[in-house]
Amino acid sequence: MSVLRPFRATDMFKFNNINLDIWTETYGISFYLTYLSRWPDLCCVQEAPNGHMMGYVIGKAEGHGQDWHGHVTALTVAPEYRRLSLARKMMSLLEMVSDETYKGFFVDLYVRCTNSVAISMYEGLGYSVYRRVREYYGSLGLGRASKDEEDAFDMRKPLSRDPHRRSVRANGREFVVSAHDVS
Amino acid sequence: MSTALDRQIRPIYDALDTQSNKSAVLACNKVLKKQPNNVLVKALKALALVRLQKVEESLLLADEVLAKKPTDDGVLTAMMHVLRGLGRHSDIVAMFETAYKQHPQNEDLGTQTFFANVRVGNWKAAQQVATKMHKQFQDDRYLYWSIFSAVLQANDMATPEALRPVLLKLALRLISSGNTPSYFNPDRFYVHLLILRELEMYDDAATLLNHEIGQKICETSLVCDEIRRDIMKLKGACKQEGEQAKVKILEKKDRNWLEFLSLLDATFWDIASTSEPASEDVKAAVTEEIAKTRKVFSEAATVDGLKDRSGLLALLELEKRTKSHGLWTDACEIRMMAENYFSQFGDKACCYEDLLPYLAFEGEELEQWTSFLNSRKSFDTPDTLQRSINVYKLLRYNLTSAELTPELELARAQEYIKVYLDGLKFGVNLPDTELQPADDFAILVGHAYVSLWKLTGEESHLQSAAATLEYASARSKQSYRIRLLLIRIYHLLGAPALALDHYRLMNVKQVQTDTLSHLILSRAAMWSLAPLGDITYMSECMEASQIYMSNSTETAEFIARAFSTERYSQIIDFIEFEDRLDNSLQRDLMKVEHVRMRVAHEPLNAELVDMELIELKFIFDRIHHDNRDFEVIPNYQPRCQPSFNEQTLPLKPPGAGWLSAYLKVYIRAFQEASDLDETVEDKLLIGDRPKPSNDPENQLPLRERLVKKRQEEIDDLSEDEKLFYEYTLALSEWVGPYHDYVRPPPSALLAEAAKSNDLKPGHPLKSMAAAANGSATNGHSKKDEEPPAVKESPELIPKFFDDMKSRFDAVISGTALPSELLHIVATTQEAYLLFALETVRFKPNSIIKQYKFGQLAQSFKDLRVKASSILNEMSTVLAKLGEEVATPDGRKAFVQASSSIQDSSGVRLYFVSVKASAHHFTV
Repeated sequence: MSVLRPFRATDMFKFNNINLDIWTETYGISFYLTYLSRWPDLCCVQEAPNGHMMGYVIGKAEGHGQDWHGHVTALTVAPEYRRLSLARKMMSLLEMVSDETYKGFFVDLYVRCTNSVAISMYEGLGYSVYRRVREYYGSLGLGRASKDEEDAFDMRKPLSRDPHRRSVRANGREFVVSAHDVS
Repeated sequence: MSTALDRQIRPIYDALDTQSNKSAVLACNKVLKKQPNNVLVKALKALALVRLQKVEESLLLADEVLAKKPTDDGVLTAMMHVLRGLGRHSDIVAMFETAYKQHPQNEDLGTQTFFANVRVGNWKAAQQVATKMHKQFQDDRYLYWSIFSAVLQANDMATPEALRPVLLKLALRLISSGNTPSYFNPDRFYVHLLILRELEMYDDAATLLNHEIGQKICETSLVCDEIRRDIMKLKGACKQEGEQAKVKILEKKDRNWLEFLSLLDATFWDIASTSEPASEDVKAAVTEEIAKTRKVFSEAATVDGLKDRSGLLALLELEKRTKSHGLWTDACEIRMMAENYFSQFGDKACCYEDLLPYLAFEGEELEQWTSFLNSRKSFDTPDTLQRSINVYKLLRYNLTSAELTPELELARAQEYIKVYLDGLKFGVNLPDTELQPADDFAILVGHAYVSLWKLTGEESHLQSAAATLEYASARSKQSYRIRLLLIRIYHLLGAPALALDHYRLMNVKQVQTDTLSHLILSRAAMWSLAPLGDITYMSECMEASQIYMSNSTETAEFIARAFSTERYSQIIDFIEFEDRLDNSLQRDLMKVEHVRMRVAHEPLNAELVDMELIELKFIFDRIHHDNRDFEVIPNYQPRCQPSFNEQTLPLKPPGAGWLSAYLKVYIRAFQEASDLDETVEDKLLIGDRPKPSNDPENQLPLRERLVKKRQEEIDDLSEDEKLFYEYTLALSEWVGPYHDYVRPPPSALLAEAAKSNDLKPGHPLKSMAAAANGSATNGHSKKDEEPPAVKESPELIPKFFDDMKSRFDAVISGTALPSELLHIVATTQEAYLLFALETVRFKPNSIIKQYKFGQLAQSFKDLRVKASSILNEMSTVLAKLGEEVATPDGRKAFVQASSSIQDSSGVRLYFVSVKASAHHFTV
């Protein structure tokens, strides 16, 4: 039971319970306003009945030609609202809008290679690894040195405009690119 | 541009791009030597100068460029940055308007003129520009710019009530004049719906919405769907909405809670929509509806099982509403549903807050509920641990006052500690980036100890809370919730440095500083060691204020951008966001704290006084928004008790009344101490003024408003602050006339300013020239009238210091917390500093002699001696107290207070230097 509603500029006054969590970055004003002034329909919030924000997704549409797609820039759920399928619901909205409004060929997202919980969730939603991006993330700065933590998987899911599934491949984990090669 | 010239200008741009502003100036000078009238180079030089903070020089050049009425793109762009840097936004508008007038065919200039108006919120002018552009260039996009500008003008507070519908009707007429219908894109459709809603033309809106394309848009656009729901509600079409919701829930498996609410609203519509008492027939009909709705929700609950909690919670809400409308329901129904809900979703962290609205049980129901919960405690797996956390929280929520005795609370605290330590085993192997599953038990311990402190007044319970929470924080490094509790408790204990440490570890940044800095910066002057030269809190204020600068430079740009991308649905929110941040209460509370610390930290000279006077006057008329987030602080206190937040506030949080009172105090004091009067200030100011406020209260002359006490202010002040407020009023009433008499006349000041400006070769301040020719002589002029007769100090002034002394003595002999003592001492100290500020003008012997103020000087001296001796006494007592606590005995007492967590865990204790900040009040 959660309200699905648009992300609004004034939500920046309300998102502390989500953003104080270590895994969620708080960006400058212009980050949020850039997204809202261009792709407001790819940004939404899940709200509890008492008005607390539970999670949100921020996305965009980008790419040229066959590469035109929806992209998940940030997806986050506050610790106390995890394990309620909120991410699933927000992703399904973003996919629907990427498909119907933007007519994209696929949706993609980046995830830390170490984040196995998230990876299996996305796999459950129909995403597969398209490629591995070297050193996409900064180190967490917590004294770990694992490469996996800095590398990202670029995961994709084809939309209705790509019935032949040209935007994905079976052995994506083997394809390695450097962070410079991706936008 | 010729290649030769291009070659000369390129290095200027390069230097500007790399922020090498000094070399940019040099490069400009080189070109200007040969081409003294090159406007572009002048504009670029002005830009480099403003970046170098050479405001006056930049100002002169800027005025020269503007006088040439530039139309060249490069010049305009450079000038836009210059004028922004100078804070002259209205000049940007005028510049583009002038350029566009000269080239009405230039679409780009039209767009720039429109954006310039948008940035400053000049909707009327924006609308006119867009209309003109639409006529000229025949693009529907300009039509919508003009439509939406009219809507925004109608929304503007400054627009007269009667004009609003006129503007909206104009906007509606314009929509029908477009080449394409509004559903061409969702944001235009949104604008159309918005106008119809504001004009209360709900049927017309419904026609649009029921159209095939309208329905399609609402399916993919949450923004349009949101306004659709709103319109349908206003139209009274609740039942229709309910029917649709039913279909969505059952057939499309839509689990948006809004659909459930629609169905609930529809179910009770016949009773809820009228104030008449419902007839038996209506009641019977509604009861029937309830049964149908119950079936829908039950079906959803069955289908979803553990996958989604909407169905079960909707059933609870249905029962609650049934009961509240006085319709028959079985007394135990809600409890049984809550039990059912708990059985299914008790292992989710949000179970507690989900159930809260339904748990106001009494008597037998409460007994059964309690025994149900008690039977559900189990600690075998991480899932049952989460369940048990919910059990403990839910039990605590329904505790009655009779059950909140010190003995029982202590027993509870000990039980929470036990289950907390036990639960840690489930997180042993987690990486340190993860939260410990048992964290919430530690938070409960904190709650129980705070409650114990409230019940007994014994400080040792707060120390126990701090010790346990410190331990938990070390085990779960990322738990910001534990830190929030610690910040509050440390403040109560008078250990602000420790509170600040935890705040910094929370990594609060960007816009969060507006909503969260209150945690450490509320009455920061009281915690600060500024008088001793420590500027930690002052820089914390400066850092937290960065966000307001970004807001004023960035947000308006995005409002313009949303016009250019035609995302009209965002614009009203962007404007609200900008306004709430610009006029944030916390922003100006921090400003006042910064001023209070500055006064304690820096020499009281004209530079400080004049600058702060102007800045405080700027914010005096603002209508503030309170964006502070108090909800983020966890609360698991019983429902019969105040929340954890309320319990742990050292003093009532300062609000708009507090701010107003302190602004008045400081503006009055600075005004008296300053030589600036309003005419001078006007001439010395560069940049735009704040928009005048429309509040009739604000139309009175400033001087009158400053001495007017309002109830709202008094209500916001602590007892000590009330005394202080009265004291400052008496003080300025007493010394005001002497200041007014001695203050040099405006003409003398302006002459002085012009003179010092003349020293810089070739740059006279133009506005000064005329005023400087006045009849003033140097410095203190001879006055015609006699100096005001010297009066004895009002009784209230010495009495204030006596009162504070007796307050201090009374509090220190009781069981007061260090924070209370600090507040008394800090307030007394502030009074002393204000006294110094208000008398510094009369210090020089020459003034005393010239105006025959000997007797006045004596009164000042007597008061100063009295105040400082009282402060010294307080300081000595505090220092002694600090030493006592820091002795081995004090340490031992603290360790004993936190023995509960030590005994059971063998942890190393963090010694908390309580009262450590007590020693810094020396005068």
